[in-house]
Amino acid sequence: MRSVIVLVTVFVLLALVGPWLAPHDPTQINIPNRLSPPNAEWLLGTDALGRDILSRLLHGARWSLGLAFLISVIGLAIGTVIGLVAAQGGKIADWIVMRTTDTFLAFPDLVAAVVIAGVLGAGTGSLIFALTITGWMRYARVARGIGLSLLNRGYVVQARLAGLSPVAIARWHYLPSLLPSLTVVWTGMFARAILSISALGFLGFGVQPPMPEWGTMLLDARIHMRSTPLQMIWPGLAVVTCVLAINLTGDALRDSLAEADQR
Amino acid sequence: MIKLVASLVLRASVVLTGTALATFALLWNAPGDPALAIALARYNAVVPVEVIDQVRAEAGLDGGFWSAFSGWITPLILGDLGQSSVTGRDVWPELVTAMSYTFPLALAGLLVGIAISVPLALLATQRPGGWLDRCAVALASIGAAIPAYWLGLLLILLFAVQLGWLPAMGARTPAHMLLPALTLGLGVAASLTRILRSGILEARGQHFLPAFRRRGVAASDISRHHVAPHVAVPVVTVFGLELAFLLEGAVMVEVIFSRPGLGSFLVSAIEARDFPKVQAVVILSAVLFVTINLLIDLLYRALDPRIGERDA
Repeated sequence: MRSVIVLVTVFVLLALVGPWLAPHDPTQINIPNRLSPPNAEWLLGTDALGRDILSRLLHGARWSLGLAFLISVIGLAIGTVIGLVAAQGGKIADWIVMRTTDTFLAFPDLVAAVVIAGVLGAGTGSLIFALTITGWMRYARVARGIGLSLLNRGYVVQARLAGLSPVAIARWHYLPSLLPSLTVVWTGMFARAILSISALGFLGFGVQPPMPEWGTMLLDARIHMRSTPLQMIWPGLAVVTCVLAINLTGDALRDSLAEADQR
Repeated sequence: MIKLVASLVLRASVVLTGTALATFALLWNAPGDPALAIALARYNAVVPVEVIDQVRAEAGLDGGFWSAFSGWITPLILGDLGQSSVTGRDVWPELVTAMSYTFPLALAGLLVGIAISVPLALLATQRPGGWLDRCAVALASIGAAIPAYWLGLLLILLFAVQLGWLPAMGARTPAHMLLPALTLGLGVAASLTRILRSGILEARGQHFLPAFRRRGVAASDISRHHVAPHVAVPVVTVFGLELAFLLEGAVMVEVIFSRPGLGSFLVSAIEARDFPKVQAVVILSAVLFVTINLLIDLLYRALDPRIGERDA
């Protein structure tokens, strides 16, 4: 567990300070030096346009992790509000919200995200929109489920009888009970967002060149697989290590919550 | 029972209508003039305004959102997906061709996933916490973190480029299926192993099992009659999720291996802004999904009668 926390911390630090650690400009094209193997100057070699792969990886951390963080937090906020509205708003509101949630769950996330990002035109804005709109439903379900189970608890009923507004009840009575479970869902969605961002990048619908994003880097590297296979290893390795570290953190969090519940 | 089926079917049709509406609204609000896009795709040159207006009228785009929506949804309910806005040919036969590539791939991926995960989960749960168990859990965690597109590229690198054993691109021979199916199947295996393992462990931990054992019931009978039924419910749940994963996995895998199928169909339709084709894929996947979830809901109740009692 400790090693996982260290790993996550390292990634967060890399995403924050990575750009200053990068030895070269990630978008600096240097054709004479293209597809250079790793050496003292270019630690991981250069890509097809002679750009430094290490620098692109370090800058890419900000795109991949930063965007995934942003997307999962927006989803968390939207989903929680929608879930709490469903829990508190009575039967009709609940029915409408739950059928809407089912509708959005009715296609595979990635297919929907590809369609939305592709139709709106490739770019960071459509990427964020596509992944947010396909990523709020799990939070909503969890928030609604826990919210419904609290609806008739003594302290909630009393707060309602005391004339507290639904918003205040949501803020002071629901949110504290929701946070642990929502955090676990959030770690899972954060990891998924990293995978989806790079998948969209790989399909050409995500972050646009020359910006370095790990999926886009893989797309570039794929063409030169035969001559420089190593170029393809690094971005993939970065994605896998990040996702693995976040997933393991989520697992550990869930286990400790389950333990706390039993006590 | 009839009431239950009716309410589930009603729910499914509400969801499908919502999906159709959401898809159509997205494409309606897409940047750019759809009539201009169709005219450009059809005539591939600068087109005068009259031609664009004619195309707009032909495609039923001149009457506003609701008239265009009903012009699309009415034939759709009768099973007509319309014509490609680029080639003018019917979408349905092309969609069937695409499916005839994607479904065998998804099935092969599922089989690979089952062939790996079932023995692995059974071996791992022989001694929970043992080295084999910990290896299986570690493999499953890593497998869940590897994106299909990277795994596919690594497999191509190893088996097609370095060793030269298997073909990587296209779908000409059955051998072309091996690497894509393996890519898809390894991803399925990772999540299936996790669920099977925890399902088996949970089912084994039930309080009444020691009583059977002491009464002298054979171990094989206990696992068949008392452990297996309890594993079935989580496995069915995951199967539903796996089918989702298979569909989106197949889309990625087809692009990596340059295979024809729904993935390439969808990506090329988006790039050509051929919206009838895009709509067809979205509606198809929604129908598949909703139907599968409906079946799973019913299957649950057959497998575990307690579920029906809790929420009817």
